[in-house]
Amino acid sequence: MRKKASKNIQLVLITSVLASCGQPAQQAKDTDKQRVFMRADSTAAYTEVTDNYNNSSNRSGGSGGMGTSLLWFMAFRHMGGVLGYANNSIHPSSVSGTNARKADAYKAQRGGFGNTANSNSSVGA
Amino acid sequence: MKINTLRIDPNWQNRLEEIGFGYHTLGGVPFWVDDRYYEITSREADLIYKATAELWDMCLQAVEYVIKNKQYASFHIPAYMYHHIENSWENDDPSIYGRFDFAYDVERGELKMLEFNADTPTSLFETGIVQWYWKKHYFSEGTDQFNSIHEQLIASWTQLKPYLKGEILHFACVKESLEDLTNLEYLRDTAIQAGLATKLIYVDDIGWNGHSFLDLEGEPIQSVFKLYPWEWMVREDFGVHIVNDALRAQWIEPSWKMLLSNKAILPILWELFPNHPHLLAAYFEEPDFLKHFVKKPILSREGANVEMYYDKQMIYATEGEYGEEGYIYQELATLHREDSGFSIIGSWLIGQEPCGISFRESDMPITTDKSRFIPHIIKY
Repeated sequence: MRKKASKNIQLVLITSVLASCGQPAQQAKDTDKQRVFMRADSTAAYTEVTDNYNNSSNRSGGSGGMGTSLLWFMAFRHMGGVLGYANNSIHPSSVSGTNARKADAYKAQRGGFGNTANSNSSVGA
Repeated sequence: MKINTLRIDPNWQNRLEEIGFGYHTLGGVPFWVDDRYYEITSREADLIYKATAELWDMCLQAVEYVIKNKQYASFHIPAYMYHHIENSWENDDPSIYGRFDFAYDVERGELKMLEFNADTPTSLFETGIVQWYWKKHYFSEGTDQFNSIHEQLIASWTQLKPYLKGEILHFACVKESLEDLTNLEYLRDTAIQAGLATKLIYVDDIGWNGHSFLDLEGEPIQSVFKLYPWEWMVREDFGVHIVNDALRAQWIEPSWKMLLSNKAILPILWELFPNHPHLLAAYFEEPDFLKHFVKKPILSREGANVEMYYDKQMIYATEGEYGEEGYIYQELATLHREDSGFSIIGSWLIGQEPCGISFRESDMPITTDKSRFIPHIIKY
């Protein structure tokens, strides 16, 4: 019977960073903050995204890693225009570099799912 | 079953945020109730467990019935999806979870199914994690709870692993919903612990290259858990690509779950299992003899567009954008009531196994996205 409490719980991905990423971006500048650069492809040039990443980088930790924290963060700070990694805050040269497969990914149609959610806060039931 | 009060932890918000729970308060009003809890008996836990297992079996029989009789019109499912649903059922495409919502009448000991959230149930993180840590904070180690969700999720992903297509299981949800993201990442967390390679992608970032779906890095999507309703997907621009997909991506929940997440399944269950002790009478048309009932859209979410009637007079109604596809009429249930509001029980089924419960409390007898989460313990 599974109607007992779990004996032990460990989380390997979720950290307190997740709880904070829905908060409005903080305006305060931290002069000692870590600078963050990103690229969507290993053959592409880096773009600095420190300001975008500020909120989550200050509280990063645990095993989620920068990649996960940044993705969480981007759910709430995507800039409109183009989608995902290819948003306006990242220079186009940082998106696909010389990787043909990545360039194809960039060319793929996107946005064909998700429109119904725009008028709903959560999809849950 | 009774409700009790605790001396509240003054640091409760920080305590919850430390474990990744960031939506404990919505618009300044607590969604999570830290200082009240339900105490249930072992016998009540048994009743919920058995009812959940029995209803799941009945639901599977109802899916078989709908598919065999091609009764899709009652569900307003687009015709192009019929074959996909039939294939996913024939292939036993795996389901990971679902949540039955129950009305519990303590005096009569009656547990009645209100509906089955079979496609995109949320509050999994609150039930499996937040509630568990809450118990650990306030009670001694020997205190029990109907909650083995975490262990059952890891066990279920482990069992599913050999049946998934491709090397990576993608996890998709909408942007800008911390609740959805947290629930999704909790599921991904347990999949990682089961040894699966995973990737997060937002549903609006999913790409289509003319042959298959792909993620932002150009990886083909072959297996994907989506916290996004089937009824929305099949009406959006990429919906038709689901059946054109050369890789035949494996969607979790599978498309056959569309039949169970749709309230049209309620009259069908009543037709197949009339007067079953855990069912409420339900009909596609409003019967004259039904005096006290609830009118529900077949595709509404989180209590939207629900109307409640007593002696054929409307006594409560919620707003929303649903109802275009039609309604069902369900006998009015007796909800558990305390001074603080009306409560329903959510009973989780993970990997075919009942394994956890949650309580949601509302000011009115209709549960919505604003309904408060109340934790529980089992009293032996």
